[in-house]
Order: sequence, then C-alpha cells, then structure tokens
Amino acid sequence: MTAVEPRFDQVVHAPPRLQVCGLLAAVDVMDFAAVRDAVGVSDSVLSKHVKQLEDAGYVQVRKATVASRQRTSLSLTTVGRAAFTAHVAELRRITGG
Amino acid sequence: MTADRERAAADRAAADLAALDADRAALADRVAPPRWFGPALGLLLFVLVASNAVDSAAVTGAALLVFGVGVALLVRTYRSRTGVWVYTPPKQMAGWAVFVLAVLVPTYALALPWLFVAAGAVLGAAIAVLTHRWTRAWQRELREGV
Repeated sequence: MTAVEPRFDQVVHAPPRLQVCGLLAAVDVMDFAAVRDAVGVSDSVLSKHVKQLEDAGYVQVRKATVASRQRTSLSLTTVGRAAFTAHVAELRRITGG
Repeated sequence: MTADRERAAADRAAADLAALDADRAALADRVAPPRWFGPALGLLLFVLVASNAVDSAAVTGAALLVFGVGVALLVRTYRSRTGVWVYTPPKQMAGWAVFVLAVLVPTYALALPWLFVAAGAVLGAAIAVLTHRWTRAWQRELREGV
C-alpha cells in the first residue's frame, strides 16, 4: 500500500467542509438531506459549501426526480477523495499520530 | 512558529480528527438496513432461481420481473431510510460471483427441477447471510475511525 503524502488543503479544512468530506469519504453516495442532518446546518449554508467543493472539483452533485420529488445526492470525486485523505494525513502528522 | 502555536495547532487537529471519528460512528448506526432487508433479498433470489423448476418461459419471465422490481424497491427503500448508498467492494463481489457460478453451473448442467429449488434456497440463504455480514463489516470499519 502506498503511503499518503500529508497535504494541508484549505478547501477541505474549513468547517463544515471537513465534516462534509468526512461523511462522503465513508460512502459512495449520500443524499443532500442526510448530509445536512448529519452536519447540522441549514440547506443554504450547506449549498454554499457544497458549491465551493464542487468548484474545486472535489464533490459531484447529482439531481434526480424520485416519486415526483427532487433528490439531490452528493459524492466525492477521485480528486476530492485524494485531497481529503491527504488532509487527514496532515492532521495526523500535526498531532504526531 | 512558537511552541504555544504548535500546541494549539495540534489540539485543533486532534479535535478535527475526533469530530471526523464521531461522524463516522454516527454514520455506522445510520447505515444499518432493516432486519428484513437481507431475507427479502434472499427470497427474491430464491424465487428467481427456483422458477426454473417449472419449464415455462412465462414463469421465468414473471420471476425475472418480480426480481427486478423487488430489488429496485429494496434499493429505493434503503436509500430513503438511510440517505446513503455504497457499492459492494469488487473483491466481495468477485467472491460472490464465483460462489453463484459454482452453484448455478452444475444446476443448469443437470437441469433437475428439485435442484433449481435447492440452488435457489442455497443462494437465497447465502445472500441474506452475506448482506448481514457485509453490513457488520462496514459498520466496524466506520467505527474504527478515519
């Protein structure tokens, strides 16, 4: 297994984006509403942070209509997953863990 | 950077890691499917395979339709209850594919009606057990932290 190069990532680090990335890193797809509930922020606050992650190419946003309701789902891109893993490695390095 | 700043940064990083671990532990509770999920999937697979015991394209077609609709409903129910989805890891999927082939190849080669029922029961029970085991393994992994 290749060791991950620790790298501080300002886009990932800012709260609550670190939390969003942490949740998305644990799954393949997570509904916007489930992320919002887990993070404990409003729709508008989460939308703003998701947009920043999307602009950085870290998160992919998909919209689908299920039973006449729109469902927005989020997933980490390969680049986003790598950035999050490197950022966690940097946090571990800082803590000496 | 002073020693105080370094200590503050280390404390902040430790707090961030602890928060990530807490989120994963909460997610581990969230991703558990309902108890009937695995048995329902097993029943659908049993019906699909066992339908071959009746030498009728109509019965097999109907069983295929029931399987497809049933699996779609299970996926939709799981996603609406948990808000998440994960794909089965390739290694586990490959192991399952080998097992399915090991059961179905001799079954179709011999083509005995009772054997289709037995094969359906074996595969149905196996997927019910594996669904439970894969979920438990995933929950353990989440609780181990980032």
